[in-house]
Amino acid sequence: MPTGFGWWFKTQYQKNQWEAMEYRGREYQQIIYEKLSDRIVRITFNRPERRNALNDQMYNEFQAGLHRANDDPQVRVVIIRGAGPCFGSGHELSSPKGEESPPVHPSLNPTLVDYFGFERRRCGKQDDAQQYPKILISQVHGYCLGASEEIAAISDIVIADEEATFGVRGFTRLPFGISNWPGYWPAESNKYWGGKLAPEISGRQAEEMGTITKAVKKEDLEAEVLKWANALAQLPLEVIAIYKEWLCGTMDMLGMGTSYRTHYGKHHTLQYVRFRPEEVNLYKEKKDSSLKGFIKKRRASATVEDKGGPQRSG
Amino acid sequence: MPDYKNIIYEIKDNIGWVTLNRPEKLNAINDEMLRELDEMFVLAEQDLDVKVLVIKGAGRAFSSGQDLSGVGTDEVLPPSPLNKLPSKAVLEAARRRCRRWEYIFNVCKPTIAQVHGQCLGAGMYLALSCDMTIASEDAIFGDPSIRMGILPIFPLLSWLVGVKRADAMLLSGKSVIAKEAERWGLANKVVRNEQLDAEVTRLAKGLSLMHSDALAITKESLHAAMEARGVGPAWRYTSDMELLMQRRTVKSDDFDFEKTRDKLGLKKAIQARDNPFKGLDQ
Repeated sequence: MPTGFGWWFKTQYQKNQWEAMEYRGREYQQIIYEKLSDRIVRITFNRPERRNALNDQMYNEFQAGLHRANDDPQVRVVIIRGAGPCFGSGHELSSPKGEESPPVHPSLNPTLVDYFGFERRRCGKQDDAQQYPKILISQVHGYCLGASEEIAAISDIVIADEEATFGVRGFTRLPFGISNWPGYWPAESNKYWGGKLAPEISGRQAEEMGTITKAVKKEDLEAEVLKWANALAQLPLEVIAIYKEWLCGTMDMLGMGTSYRTHYGKHHTLQYVRFRPEEVNLYKEKKDSSLKGFIKKRRASATVEDKGGPQRSG
Repeated sequence: MPDYKNIIYEIKDNIGWVTLNRPEKLNAINDEMLRELDEMFVLAEQDLDVKVLVIKGAGRAFSSGQDLSGVGTDEVLPPSPLNKLPSKAVLEAARRRCRRWEYIFNVCKPTIAQVHGQCLGAGMYLALSCDMTIASEDAIFGDPSIRMGILPIFPLLSWLVGVKRADAMLLSGKSVIAKEAERWGLANKVVRNEQLDAEVTRLAKGLSLMHSDALAITKESLHAAMEARGVGPAWRYTSDMELLMQRRTVKSDDFDFEKTRDKLGLKKAIQARDNPFKGLDQ
């Protein structure tokens, strides 16, 4: 339903967001869509100069790519990776204020209903992609932070460079209930709550914690991903679709659906945070000292590494 | 004591020792073995002299999983999608299959799986439905069901090891060696091959000295917590999804395990099934 603010509620009757993203006639500018073989597609986030930070256009193209691969009756596996130095650095924090990707700019001053619809839509993108009826494999190198980490987390298989960096800059993961959530709870809850999770962990540590499938040396990354893709592409299409429906269903029973709900509820709550003068505020810092100034101040004040807390190795 | 053909059931010092006993078939589980296990669990639950159950395998393996020979396996294996049975019959059979593992998981006495060698498919379901899984270094865990187009019917795995690891195992059918299984929490403990008997005996004797009511209540409270996290509905949901999997359309280029087996024999069919996935196993 329209909210009067230019955003739409996603209702249960609407399509998945990736299904609603048209691919016919689209020219991709920020992703690369390639068919590696009849059964395998590769989508590359292609804004290397911005460390593949997710803005609306790139996320939309990514979703359109998923839509296209799903409509291709031959395709069984979609590989997701990043061009250049890393998989992805999360939300694009320097996007114009009307964009969905970064946190909502306070000057937009949406109504509570508008804002809730917006957050539901934004988090629903991840939720919808998780229900994708084909196999998703994330190939991770370099930074895999924030929203980019969530894209890895919703993939069935995550193969990472052992030196990759997973995490959420400037936060612990605790307010980010779904980042890498599937592996953390309940089996890994002792690790989750035991404080062992630094805001940033290496690919090797992620494998040890069970939040990714496998960590390999950088030079072996692509070969390992293709090995998995080629093997899994042998499975019949309907077997994959039904298996994934089953897995996602059991994840919902594990609390996944509620976790998403809580997550966008928390985003919403954060909208009403009132910063104290000494606290780091993205929008104030951006205004006063640019995005770089914000990142510098955040690093100085909020990153555990800099406070002598748990270090990521590697 | 009933006269079983496929299992051995002995009671000694308040411990029920159950041995899967088809060593020449690596203890592959067929319908007859299932029926004997069903009967044994009911007897053992009611038997006040049995305070703890140990399940192990005779010969070279714990169990290689479902008997794939196609003879006497209507219960342990879902029917081929080419077999257009009524939905009601398929669903009822799927429910029985899922409920069996759920029932074993919830047996009111502590259960220990003593695992060596292959522990695959339904063999893994049996071992992981037990409260404790003690394995030797040569143990291998895995479930290649999906490679045959069979839905893995063990949702509990996600609760045991987390979804990412469960997904990697069940989606690819990859196997996991003992050391890794211990790290993941699939096995409580891995010991050297020659120590396995002694380790399990020590554990079982320790448990058998505890009060059986206390053991039952403790297990019940742990399982109530698991139930609250959705384990119960997951079994039921799984049986519905197994029906859907059985209803899928088989395409001409899909790997057809049964057809390959009938044409080339069981061994070659298993090779054909596993060949594309070589390299994913540990």
